[in-house]
Amino acid sequence: MTIGGVPAIAFVTAILAAAFVAAVPLVIAALGEAVGEKAGLLNLGIEGMMLSGAFFGFQTAYQTGNAASGILAGLVTGLVLGLIFAILTISLRVDQVLVGLAITIFGGGMTAFLYRDIFGGQNPSLSLNTPRVPIPLLDRIPILGSSLFNQQLLFYLAIALVPLFAFLLARTRFGLNVRAVGENPFAADAAGVNVIRTRYLAALIAGAMAGLAGAYLSVADLKIFQVGMTVGAGFIALALTMVGGWNPWRILIASVLFGLLRSLGNGLQILGIDVRAEFVNMLPYIGIMVALALLAGRTSLPAALGVPYARGRR
Amino acid sequence: MIQHRFRIALIAALTLASQIGLAAPMAAQDATPTAGVEVKQIAVVTPSSRTNQGWDQQAADAVDAVAKKNGIEAVVAENSGYDDITPILRDLGAGGASLIICHASGYQTVCPEFAAESNVPVAVIENPDAVSPGLVSDIETQAQEVAYLAGILAGKTTTTGTVGVVVSGEPPTWNYMTVGFAEGLKAAKSDAKMLYSVIGEAAYDDAAGAKRVTEQQLAADADVIFGMGDGASFGMLQAIEEHNAQDGANKAWFIDVIGDKKAEHGDALLSSVLFDYTGIYQQMVDDLKAGAFGKIYTMDVKNGGVRLLELPEDVAQETKDAVADAEKSIVDGSLTVSAISDAEEMKAKVAELFPQ
Repeated sequence: MTIGGVPAIAFVTAILAAAFVAAVPLVIAALGEAVGEKAGLLNLGIEGMMLSGAFFGFQTAYQTGNAASGILAGLVTGLVLGLIFAILTISLRVDQVLVGLAITIFGGGMTAFLYRDIFGGQNPSLSLNTPRVPIPLLDRIPILGSSLFNQQLLFYLAIALVPLFAFLLARTRFGLNVRAVGENPFAADAAGVNVIRTRYLAALIAGAMAGLAGAYLSVADLKIFQVGMTVGAGFIALALTMVGGWNPWRILIASVLFGLLRSLGNGLQILGIDVRAEFVNMLPYIGIMVALALLAGRTSLPAALGVPYARGRR
Repeated sequence: MIQHRFRIALIAALTLASQIGLAAPMAAQDATPTAGVEVKQIAVVTPSSRTNQGWDQQAADAVDAVAKKNGIEAVVAENSGYDDITPILRDLGAGGASLIICHASGYQTVCPEFAAESNVPVAVIENPDAVSPGLVSDIETQAQEVAYLAGILAGKTTTTGTVGVVVSGEPPTWNYMTVGFAEGLKAAKSDAKMLYSVIGEAAYDDAAGAKRVTEQQLAADADVIFGMGDGASFGMLQAIEEHNAQDGANKAWFIDVIGDKKAEHGDALLSSVLFDYTGIYQQMVDDLKAGAFGKIYTMDVKNGGVRLLELPEDVAQETKDAVADAEKSIVDGSLTVSAISDAEEMKAKVAELFPQ
């Protein structure tokens, strides 16, 4: 069976697989951002954190020849940048928008400088064996089996973060504290919640997830590092966090839909359907804007988002 | 609270706008000619990284080579992006640049404007109308000629009869090459199917996007991919190498542009379209000194400015002969390849050659 002269099953499988794989780094970064924003922290540095995680993850995996150490290095890199973000915005109460943008610019410049300094004019790739792990029985489902249930181990681990974060935010004391300090830190403080510590933890989680998302790109998916390789994925994750209404499951759905729109756009081009490339490439972003417009008024931002907290100062 | 929400909304809007890539075109101005000058420094502005083994690196390396040969200083302003580069040009001018190479078709207008304002000579890509004696030169690359050879190579190599073209944008140089490649493919295999995909608006560094698109083309049975991507090319190669590593996969090949990745990716690399700017940059320096700057410089197959990377040994002799014959015909003028820079005209030409 063919569609437009190309093998139908293989082609549709490739479109779906591309959508799922493209969604993974967005989901990881957006989950972290959701925790941060729920705690009142708007982290525009997510792009720089992803890029930094991608670089240090790649560099570590390249040196050690081990994918796990690369992924861990990416996570730790994000953690460190998350800590810097926390110190500046929570302890020193510097404007979150400014700090976030500064981290994004810093991440871009630092990774370009270090990559050039370490690798010179070379563009090495990782010789890592990250095989696909088919899930028994499920991988036999037509189309979906090959695209969703025949992925790398890291893919499944990333998806497993979704229920974990859903549980963390909705069912734990920490999650309750996060939501409380994001809505009304003064009331939370009065109720005995340690606002500073909760926000620090949220910032660290957001940073770690951004770093992990970057490392996923460079170590698990592409096995290369390129200057500026995140090409705005951090900002897209930021938008998906809002589209998903800070709910991990909705974030997953929004990310997959975003990936699917990109993937479908590419598919239309391959099938030779006469649609302008500019329109095709705009599709996923139009989707986000439409979703944001539809959700306006139905979801409410955490009331204290972007607002620094100081005990006794309202 | 209203201010706070407004700020959030503004950030979201700016974020999305930056992804779509809005940019306002600028108007051209007349330039004032200058006489021969002493050349102390040659600068190049590149949109992306100078180590991308592609478009940007070829120019940066050529500037370094020419500077070294002439005992002058080289300055590379890399990662300059695709927005207004006037501040960068002013910095380079203030830093003593005797010649600034504006190495992106997106700089076609802003650089002549800067030259008129500052009297610093500039070279632009694919904008012959901007040429101004002593001040603005234009670089024309007959890339379609060498892409035609790549098309012959692809047509003779494919076993599935399906060949893919993946581009990271639709700048004039990529469009020239797409048409040249399509004509070469048609000449070598008239019943071939050609797939065409654009990764994004200016997705020159989007290796992840390139990988997804290439995977889809491979799934659609393409076994030769002609990729024009700069940094994004690494994603295309990754997709092909992963495809080839699968059990029972039909081997796929990659034809790259503007760079030699043979050392790291020799198993998947069939060839590459190479641009060598050294000759014309040297000519520009000589012309500046002689007061002859301000004209059109052309790189083509005949003068060796563009050529194919040496083919692997295991390529069939018949294929090598077909490529050599086509090259000979281009050089002696008996074969003319269409030169189309506009994206819509390019697509119309491709559709004419390969109706769906």
